Amino acid sequence: MDDRMLHEYRREPDPAFARDLRERLRRSERARRIPRPVVRALAVACAVGVVVALFAIPSVRVSAGAMLDLFRVRRFAAVQFNQSRLDALQSIDKERGFLVLDREETLRDPGPPRLVPTAQAAGPEAGFTVSTPSYLPDSLAVDSVLVQGEGRMRFSVSEEKLRSVLKKLDVKDVTVPRGLDGQWVEVRKPPVVIQRFQSTNRRAILLQARSPEVSVPPGWNVEQLAEVGLRVLGLDPSEAKRIARSTDWRTTLLVPVPLNVTTFRLVTVRGNSGLMIITTGDESPPPGKPQRKGVMVMWTQGDRVFCLRGNLSAGDLLQMANSVVP
Amino acid sequence: MANGDATAARLWLWARKARATDWDARFAEELPRVYNFFRYRVGPGVVAEDLTGITFEKAWGARDRYREDRAGFETWLFAVARNVATDHFRRVRPSVPLDDIVELAGGDTPEEIAVRRSDEARLGALIARRSERERELLALKYGAELTNRDIARTTGLSESNVGTILHRAVEALRADWDKES
Repeated sequence: MDDRMLHEYRREPDPAFARDLRERLRRSERARRIPRPVVRALAVACAVGVVVALFAIPSVRVSAGAMLDLFRVRRFAAVQFNQSRLDALQSIDKERGFLVLDREETLRDPGPPRLVPTAQAAGPEAGFTVSTPSYLPDSLAVDSVLVQGEGRMRFSVSEEKLRSVLKKLDVKDVTVPRGLDGQWVEVRKPPVVIQRFQSTNRRAILLQARSPEVSVPPGWNVEQLAEVGLRVLGLDPSEAKRIARSTDWRTTLLVPVPLNVTTFRLVTVRGNSGLMIITTGDESPPPGKPQRKGVMVMWTQGDRVFCLRGNLSAGDLLQMANSVVP
Repeated sequence: MANGDATAARLWLWARKARATDWDARFAEELPRVYNFFRYRVGPGVVAEDLTGITFEKAWGARDRYREDRAGFETWLFAVARNVATDHFRRVRPSVPLDDIVELAGGDTPEEIAVRRSDEARLGALIARRSERERELLALKYGAELTNRDIARTTGLSESNVGTILHRAVEALRADWDKES
């Protein structure tokens, strides 16, 4: 007996089995392509670069001598928008591609999330002591722990494209600020620790990281851009202006959530203000669309940002969030 | 909620655009390796096919969260396969008598092996007698055709430890083979 025999023990899978499995995977792919409301909301937010950079990340000026304005997350707030606007944006995106972005570059690929044996083992790679929940409802148990490395990317916004989007959406009451063209916005995503919990019928996932950071060129009128972005999302003019002016952009991450299928409320997690988003799902989803429900809580503690979500009750998820300790 | 599809998760997990990938080609490339990983773990037959199917269904559901380079995808895919195997053995172990493990693993009873003198069946039976860890490493090495480095990355063992365990396992298989010839 030798190495050759060990290799020769291999066999090609039965072609019928391979064909059946591929067909099963294709069917599941087709189902997966139908995004959920919250995800679609985010997809739009991601597509609209301004929304990602300026809505999602609050601003903190590092110092008077800094070359760039630096944005960091300190708290969360939600803003609701209508599904029809989302459809219109998707249509424009399909027609034009890249929506309002001019260029996009990956500066540092974070790589795939990698499995690690325990949450504690993730600490050195993440650069912080990983927090874990002490309360696990519904027989949940740790399923796996992953770490994804730091990532950096940058993009620039096209004034012309942004104006064109506003025109297509028939938004005439806001003006695109000048000086956007050719200016890089840089996004830095620190390492993320992902803990997955699972039981027979329930699952939850806890993400934690230091705050992402976005650097924008100095002098950008964040308030004006935020108002433009909120109008793009479909808020009426007075509401967009009110939110743009009243939001403390230095400390607030604005999360767009769709009307009808999602509700949200402010919660307290370990003494910190947080945002709970409850996705109730479409009452009568179109054929082929799955009925999706779930709860998500986002909060910050110190320099850390947390997101816990799962198909648990809101009460259980909040109790689990409150039990997250280093 | 399915893995990796929440708002903040998407923000943090890098909102990069999906790149065009020939998943049919990727499937065709990885299927024989995953199938043979299980073939070395549980023997030929429907069990290996079932476990292969479960692995791909789990992996395919979340595959676009993973980088497209081959090494990263493989490491992750076989991490999923190992978990599927662990779940399988946890499930079947209480109901499978020790004497049946050879049959389960090799697909033939020792008597049939003696009659047929099938090298393949003999080898399957001998592999089934090795320890859990040795069987897993043999499956990753010869079934999945991973390098020692990739096996180390997948299992968390050091590369030298992988080499040592595999060397001992193959030596033991050789000795058993010679003894029963």
